[in-house]
Amino acid sequence: MSTSPAVATRRLPGVEGVWVFVLADMCFFGVLFVSFMQERIKQGALFETARHTLNPDFGGINTLILLTSSWLVVLAVDAANRDRIAAIPKLLLAAMLCGIAFGISKAIEYGGKLAAGITPMSNDFYMFYFSLTGIHLLHVIGGCVMLTVFWLKARRGEFDSRNMKVLESGATYWHMVDLLWIFLFPLLYLLR
Amino acid sequence: MNPTQPNPTDYGMWKLMAWTGPVFFIGFFCMWGLLASNFPPMAASTSAQDMWQHYKDLQTPITIGMSVCMVVGSCYMTFGAAVSRVMRRIEGGEGMLANIEMTGATITYCPIVIACGIWLTIALQIDVLSPEMVQTMYYLAWMIVDLAYMVTSWQIIAAAIVFLRDKREKPLVPAWVCWWGFVTVASFFPVSLIPFFKTGPFAFHGMFNFWIAFPTWYIWIVSMSVFIIKAVNRIEIEDGAASPSAVREQSGSLIGAR
Repeated sequence: MSTSPAVATRRLPGVEGVWVFVLADMCFFGVLFVSFMQERIKQGALFETARHTLNPDFGGINTLILLTSSWLVVLAVDAANRDRIAAIPKLLLAAMLCGIAFGISKAIEYGGKLAAGITPMSNDFYMFYFSLTGIHLLHVIGGCVMLTVFWLKARRGEFDSRNMKVLESGATYWHMVDLLWIFLFPLLYLLR
Repeated sequence: MNPTQPNPTDYGMWKLMAWTGPVFFIGFFCMWGLLASNFPPMAASTSAQDMWQHYKDLQTPITIGMSVCMVVGSCYMTFGAAVSRVMRRIEGGEGMLANIEMTGATITYCPIVIACGIWLTIALQIDVLSPEMVQTMYYLAWMIVDLAYMVTSWQIIAAAIVFLRDKREKPLVPAWVCWWGFVTVASFFPVSLIPFFKTGPFAFHGMFNFWIAFPTWYIWIVSMSVFIIKAVNRIEIEDGAASPSAVREQSGSLIGAR
């Protein structure tokens, strides 16, 4: 008996290698999150006191900024998939500007902490706060550079439904940056 | 010298240089890690007196281990030369990235040899050094060997970009090794935090900056070595300089031509 069941075509977005990078990078952050939790258990009172000095409004705004940016990148990939070539650079530029807004927000937040005499050396909570958010910020800066390059490529019409691998790979990375922040925000700002 | 005489590729020397990659990683694992008791390394938070005692107790193994490492470390340079030659086959003779890779590998040897030299000197002079001086020199070596990571990063980035551009149906170096290179570079950046922490994941002996950053690099070196050795054999076959069977016989059964 021969049957030919409908086989859904499943495809990994982007190049496979970017998934290696994303998974490994998330494992690195996972180790850091576990380290943070270990220290938090040991020094619960200190971490809780220090957490109250962080402004959750900054964290919340940054979350919205990154989610918006990720959504814009999704729209850019969708535009490429539908061959709406003119829309792609606009969406990528808007996503990149969101990334810059995140950086500015972080700079203001860091500036406030440093002006109040709070540094990574102040205690273990701030060590984690500055290190984790700093490493994440480096990812955001890298992503902004990537989005700028994509924007220039999109202006030259290099992305369409047949040429999406690079764009999808970049989008995968950018979603990872977003996802990491979604873990970081409650871990540092909200967890009681 | 006849200027018109062709310069045949010296595959034998090329293979020898490729095999210096395993010499480097096996040598360092055994001499630096096992013999000199650096798995795990002495913590940054160790007191000066305890550091002094550590070197006093392990004077002979550290002396032997660091002496050998200073010699074996040079294999990273020769391995880098072999990688660079493979990269030229993809990038072309005028390629800049192959130069960056070789220069990066060469300069990476510098902080390695200086740091090992400092650890060796502590062991040699332990009886005339104060505990504070031992601690200072120990920190100095770690700062030098760790914070030079960007040179190695350029080497790894250059290799990854070129090998990802390989148009062969079966690339000389698989894409996952290239992407692992990017992972390695990403794992290096938090190393910049080592001057600020003596405990926790960002200290030089910490969970992240030692147990993740170094093994990640190590995996890159091992995997790149394996595929570079294979790549030289494949290039030799592509050039028609040897039959596949001859190359397999020459290379042995462990790492043969694909």
